[in-house]
Amino acid sequence: MWKKKEVIPDYITQNVSEDLIKLVDMVKIYDTGSIKVLGLKRVNLTIKRGEFVAIMGQSGSGKSTLMNILGCLDRPTMGHYFLDGIDTADLPSDDLSAIRNRKIGFVFQSFNLISRTSALKNVELPMTYAHISKKAREKRALELLERVGLGTRYEHMPNELSGGQRQRVAIARALANEPPLILADEPTGNLDSASSVEIMELFSKLHNEGATVVLVTHEEDIAAFTNRIIRFRDGSLVSDTPNIPVSKREKEESEEPEEPEEPEEPEYQSGDALC
Amino acid sequence: MLFENMTMAVHAIKANKMRSLLTMLGIIIGIGSVIAIVSIGDTMRFMISDIYKDVGTTLAYVYIWPSDGSDMRQSDYFSVDDIDRIREVYKDEITYIDSSSQQNVEAVFGRNKVKFALEGIGSNYPNVHKINIIYGRNLNEGDIKGRKNHVVLEAEGAKELFGTENAVGKSFRTTIYGDTDDYDVVGVYRKEENPFLAMVNGSSENKEGYLPESILVWPNDTIYNIRLYAKEGTDMNSFSDRFSQYIAKSKNRKREDVTFYSVSSEMGSVDQIMGGLSAAVGGIAAISLLVGGIGIMNIMLVSVTERTREIGIRKALGAKTWDVMVQFLTESAILSAMGGIIGVITGAGLVFLGGTLLGMTVVIKPMVIIIAVGFSALVGVFFGIYPASKAAGKDPIEALRYE
Ligand SMILES: Nc1ncnc2c1ncn2[C@@H]1O[C@H](COP(=O)(O)OP(=O)(O)O)[C@@H](O)[C@H]1O
Ligand SMILES: [Mg+2]
Repeated sequence: MWKKKEVIPDYITQNVSEDLIKLVDMVKIYDTGSIKVLGLKRVNLTIKRGEFVAIMGQSGSGKSTLMNILGCLDRPTMGHYFLDGIDTADLPSDDLSAIRNRKIGFVFQSFNLISRTSALKNVELPMTYAHISKKAREKRALELLERVGLGTRYEHMPNELSGGQRQRVAIARALANEPPLILADEPTGNLDSASSVEIMELFSKLHNEGATVVLVTHEEDIAAFTNRIIRFRDGSLVSDTPNIPVSKREKEESEEPEEPEEPEEPEYQSGDALC
Repeated sequence: MLFENMTMAVHAIKANKMRSLLTMLGIIIGIGSVIAIVSIGDTMRFMISDIYKDVGTTLAYVYIWPSDGSDMRQSDYFSVDDIDRIREVYKDEITYIDSSSQQNVEAVFGRNKVKFALEGIGSNYPNVHKINIIYGRNLNEGDIKGRKNHVVLEAEGAKELFGTENAVGKSFRTTIYGDTDDYDVVGVYRKEENPFLAMVNGSSENKEGYLPESILVWPNDTIYNIRLYAKEGTDMNSFSDRFSQYIAKSKNRKREDVTFYSVSSEMGSVDQIMGGLSAAVGGIAAISLLVGGIGIMNIMLVSVTERTREIGIRKALGAKTWDVMVQFLTESAILSAMGGIIGVITGAGLVFLGGTLLGMTVVIKPMVIIIAVGFSALVGVFFGIYPASKAAGKDPIEALRYE
C-alpha cells in the first residue's frame, strides 16, 4: 500500500534531442478570474545542450513565468514547450514530477533548502524520489557536497550555513540526478557580491563540464558570466545576443599589460578564503 | 521509502513535542481506557475460571422450583433412592453426586467451644474436589458406608478447638439432629482460599469441616437440593438440558420447574456484567478516539499549512502526488500510533498497579496491545487522509511562493 510501482515513461529517461529547450509560439496567460494577465507573449526560443544562458528583464517582464514553464512547474496556455524533445503541454502532473526529477535541477533565489534537515539529506532528496538506494544516495550526495566545497559540512543544518554555503548545497542538490538542465531563478539575488561571484564561478565550472545552465538575473555583472543573454520586456522576448563570458574576457584583458585590476578581484578572493 | 517517510515523520513530530503530545491526548485516553477495561475483563474472567478450577467447573446444583410460583409438592424433594437411581442412570456422565447436606454445629472440647459448618460428603468426593490434607487422612468408603462418627477439620478450626493443628486422634462432642455424640478427627486440611473469593465471601465465623454424608441423611429423608459433578470436559449447557428434562419427567414436572445451577451459568452472568461495563467504557473510548482523531486531523492541517513551502520544494524536486500523500499519512499514522502506545502503557500500567495492590494476577494479552496500537494507527491514517490530500494537491508554484 505504501509503495506505488514506479512507472516512468521511456521518453523521460531517454535523451533524444540536441535542442534541449524548444519553445514554439508559446503563450502564457494568467486567468485570475476577473482579468486575464498576459504573462508571456508568443515566445519562440531554442537552447541547445551545453549552453550557458542568462534571462534578463525588469521586474514583471515575465522571467519567472518563463522559468516556471521551462521547469515544468507550469504549462503553457498556448503553443508548445519541448524539453529534450518531449512536448510537455498535455502531460499529467505526476509525469511532470518525474520530468522535473530526472531532467531539471532547480536553484532558487531563496535557496529553498528543507529546514531542520541536514545538507546531506537535502542533497539526497531528488534521489529519494528517484528511488535510489540509501547507500548509493549517501555516497553520491557526499561526492556532490565535496564538489561544491562543502565536503566537511554535510551534517550541518541549513540555518548553520551562510547564504553562499546554502546556495552551494542547493546546487549540489540540483546536480543529484545528473539532470541535463540546470535552472536558476536569481540564484545570487540574496547573496553578497563575494558569494555571488563564488556561485557564478561554480556555474561556469558546471557549464565547462558540459551542463546546460539557464539563469535569471537582473544584474549585468551576473549575466556577464554567461555565453548568451536573452532579454524580456512586458512578456516579450526583445533581444537574444551571444556574450563573451567574463572569465574569457579576463584572460584576453590580462594579455594587455596596461589594464588595471578589476575592482571585484579582491572581493572574489576574500570570498574564496571564507569557505 | 517507507523508512524514509517514517524517519521524516518522527522528525516532524519531535520538532513539536508539546503540540504532538497534546494532540495525542484523545488517542491516549481512548486507547488507555480500552486497554484498561479489556484487561480488567480478562483478569476477572481468568480469576473466576481460576476459582472454579478449585471448585470444579462441572459442579452443578439441581432442585425443583415451581416456575408458576405454586407451592412445592412432597414429590418435588429427592430421596436417597432417587440419588442412587440418578447415579446409576448417569453413571457414564456424572462422576459424583450427593445430597448437598450441611449442618452448623457447636463442637465442644473441654472448655473450648467452636462453631463448625460441617459438610456431608460421599466417599469419592476428594476425587472431584481437592482437599489439601496436612495431617491424617481423608474420609473413606468405610467411614461413609459404616456411618462412622469421623470428621476432617480445617486447620484453623482444629487449632481453635484443640489448641493444635495436628488434631488427628482427638475427639470432640457435639449434637446433630438432637443426638449428642463424640466425633473423632481423622484428618486435618488446609484451605487455600483464592483472594478474590475471600473478598467476595467475607470471613465467615463458622469454621469448616467434612463428615460422612450418611450421618446427615437418612434413607427416608427428603432432600431439597442435589449436588453433582459431571465428567470433566462435559458441555454443561447441553448436559443441563438433558438432565433437567430427565428430572422433570421423573418428578412429573415441566422443564422450566427444574433449576440447574452451574458454574457456567455463573460465568455467563459475569460475562454479562463485564459486557455491560465494556459497552459503557467502549462508548467513552469511541468518543475519545473520535475526538483524538479530529485533533490529529486539525494538527495535521496546521502542519500542512506551516510546511507549504516544504511541500513546494519536494514537488519541484520530483515528489509525486502519492509521495506527498504517503508522507503526511505516515506522519499522522505514527502520531496516532504513538498516542496508542502511550495509551497502552498508561492503561496497562493502571490495571497492573491496581492488580498488584489487590494482590491479583493481572492478565494483559499481547494480542489486545497489538490490536490497540494497530487500530490507533488506522485512526491516524483515516483522519490523515484529508490533510494529506490537501498537501498532495498543492500547486508547486503557489507552494514555493508561500512565506
Ligand atoms: N500567478 C499569477 N497570477 C496572475 N498574474 C501573474 C502571476 N504570476 C505572474 N503574473 C503576472 O505575469 C507577469 C510576469 O510576471 P513574472 O514572470 O513574475 O515577472 P518577473 O519574474 O520578470 O518579475 C506580471 O505582470 C505578473 O503580474
Ligand atoms: Mg521573478
